[in-house]
Amino acid sequence: MIQKKICMLGGFAVGKTSLVKRLVSGIFSDKYLTTVGVKIDKKSLSVQGKELLLVLWDLYGDDDFQKVRASYLQGSSGYILVIDGTRKETVDVACKLHDLAQKTIGPVPFVLLLNKHDLVDEWVVECPMVSDLSDQACFVSMVSAKTGEGVEAAFSALSEAMLKF
Amino acid sequence: MERTRRSSPISPPSEYDKGGSEDFSALRRLLLSPEQVQLDRLRQRLDTFVVGPQEVSRVLPDAIRLRARQDNRLLASMLPITQEALALSIKQSPQLISDSLAPILGSAIRKAISRAMREMLQSLNQTLEYSMSWQGLQWRWEAWKTGRPFVEVVLLHTLQFRVEQVFLIHKKTGLLLNHVMAEGISSQGEAAISGMLTAIQDFVRDSFQQSQDEGLESLRIGDLTVWIEQGSAAILATVIRGAPPVKLRDVLQNTLESIHAQYSESLQHFQGDDSVFLETRPFLEDCLQAQFVKKRKGLPVAFWVLSVLLLALLGWWAYQASLNHQQWTELLKRIAAEPGIVVTSIQEEGGRRVFHGLRDPLAVDPERLLEEVGYPPHAAGFHFEPFIALTPEMVYTRALKVLQPPESVSVSLDGDRLMLMGKSSHAWMTRVDQAHFSIPGITEVSMERLIDTDVKQFETLREDLEGQTILFLAGQGRLTDRELVKIQQVKHILQELDKKAMQLGREPSIYLMGYSSPVGSQSTNVSLSEMRAQKVLEILSESPFQVLKLSAIGKGVDPDVESVAAEGQGYSASRRVSFKVVEPKITQTREVGARTGR
Ligand SMILES: Nc1nc2c(ncn2[C@@H]2O[C@H](COP(=O)(O)OP(=O)(O)OP(=O)(O)O)[C@@H](O)[C@H]2O)c(=O)[nH]1
Ligand SMILES: [Mg+2]
Repeated sequence: MIQKKICMLGGFAVGKTSLVKRLVSGIFSDKYLTTVGVKIDKKSLSVQGKELLLVLWDLYGDDDFQKVRASYLQGSSGYILVIDGTRKETVDVACKLHDLAQKTIGPVPFVLLLNKHDLVDEWVVECPMVSDLSDQACFVSMVSAKTGEGVEAAFSALSEAMLKF
Repeated sequence: MERTRRSSPISPPSEYDKGGSEDFSALRRLLLSPEQVQLDRLRQRLDTFVVGPQEVSRVLPDAIRLRARQDNRLLASMLPITQEALALSIKQSPQLISDSLAPILGSAIRKAISRAMREMLQSLNQTLEYSMSWQGLQWRWEAWKTGRPFVEVVLLHTLQFRVEQVFLIHKKTGLLLNHVMAEGISSQGEAAISGMLTAIQDFVRDSFQQSQDEGLESLRIGDLTVWIEQGSAAILATVIRGAPPVKLRDVLQNTLESIHAQYSESLQHFQGDDSVFLETRPFLEDCLQAQFVKKRKGLPVAFWVLSVLLLALLGWWAYQASLNHQQWTELLKRIAAEPGIVVTSIQEEGGRRVFHGLRDPLAVDPERLLEEVGYPPHAAGFHFEPFIALTPEMVYTRALKVLQPPESVSVSLDGDRLMLMGKSSHAWMTRVDQAHFSIPGITEVSMERLIDTDVKQFETLREDLEGQTILFLAGQGRLTDRELVKIQQVKHILQELDKKAMQLGREPSIYLMGYSSPVGSQSTNVSLSEMRAQKVLEILSESPFQVLKLSAIGKGVDPDVESVAAEGQGYSASRRVSFKVVEPKITQTREVGARTGR
């Protein structure tokens, strides 16, 4: 079996934990419980006929990205960059985290996710704002942890990219 | 010139040779002759270049080493040949291969077997030790109370330490390379645990700004301890229950070092494929150590209980056996002493001891003896022929049985003489008289000291009768009412006497003797006395008697008249009738006490 370490990156309350929960256990909660430090989960997927075990490092989101411990990123084969589509400032945080990740672990594949797509009315993030990131990402998608929209597809896309990498 | 011609035929003619003068050639030859020869030789060698085995043998080891350092191609090309050679070798001489593998395989197999044995023994020991002890009962209670399996409770109490899980973790990614668990441990989410352990490591290292090679060495979670060994590329984490000894650290370190030594390449280039590390399992399993609390020396309670039971059983058996023996000897003693039983042999017949011999029918029933001594009735049998025993006891018993003496008679035996004492009826005495002849062992019966109660009663009645007198008035044969009552009494006595006489076989005569006073003439007095006797006889004869014969006799004047008158009663007492019992002589002689007979 092949295992891959993946980090969930993004500002606070963008829905990293919610996405992992949706993927791993298929549930969603409106309650916000901020992640302290790191929480690790796993999910096995079948990609290109191969059994793949994703070890998901759900990091706490801190807008002061310096505090994100570079050591947690070590050894990641890829990462998921999460932006909250209802909060513009999370784009900035994502960019900085992306830089940190590239610096720490090198040019590994990553997926850019614009979360909370179910909240269309409050949506503020426009495509041009994230064009820098989306150019580098191997996969970009609007998702919703609440409805589950696009979640599995995003993780599959990253898995495929990692296996190719 | 000659030299030129003689020049080596191998050396091809050069341009100089063709174009140059003879002199120059000569000069050249003169100057370069030795070198030329060498050159020629070298050329020859190069032209016919074949690498000899000698040369190859010199450079082969170094060549292989150099090539292997460069890339994998040598290995790749050698692999199929080696494999084929090995296969062929196994086919052709399996003994050789097995001999050379034996030291490795043998020890590995031995190790595996001894490990399995150890585990089995340990669990067996524990179950044995604790299943029946007081401690064990307490733990069972605890298990029942807490709903945990008994095994777990035992483990909890007897465990000094046990390595329950071993994680081999890739240091950089925190991914799990391999994982082993002790028996009975179930674990979920090893992958996540492995990640968390690394994350914690990272966190601690970052927080305290320590170098890469340092880090958290141990964690405690409840009664679990996690020991973490850091390697350059991998981490060995062990989950331990209880208090592990320090020397376990050495084991962990050694294990991690061995893994590093063997898998450094794979660790370096780990891309998430953990199948490479499947073979680290034996290393990790070496870390699954455990130590149990030594039970204090002494045998388990179960053993004691069992031994006491066994001893009791043995004692009971021995007691039973001795009891049986005791009963048997008692039985033998009793039977030997029993009169009227003669044992000629004892034989085992179908698990029973059967007595053979003779038994007087009057002797004690042997079955009763069995009962008395408590010998099991099914274990003994009797086969006795009847006979008549002449031992004094048996003779005595037989005499009693035949004669059935009344309680008032005591019987004793003196040799062959039966002595009877006391009182008995006349009838019984008659029976003894006749029956004693038929009692074997008795030749004589002594009845001198035996009183015949019937004779005695007869005598009493006779005395009673003879003391009676019926009085008449002067000059008359008439009776007063008072005298008539007296006659009725006399009649009663006579009836009794009649009965007794009949029992005794006697036929006595009763004389009723009439008397008169001296007043009056002799002849009137005689007829008067006669009349009086006749008068009484008349009244008494109203009811007939069986054997008594009554007769009336007139005696005339009372011969005792003077002495009677002297007592101051006048002559009234002389006018009377008296009674006398008379028996024929022959009858009387029959009453003699002793009998002898043959
Ligand atoms: N409507 C909606 N709400 C979402 C969605 N995803 C997350 N949320 C909510 O957003 C809040 C934050 O979600 P989390 O998943 O805890 O966010 P996080 O990124 O893990 O936050 P930190 O751990 O603090 O960094 C929670 O109240 C969620 O219910 C979504 O797709 N739609
Ligand atoms: Mg979170």
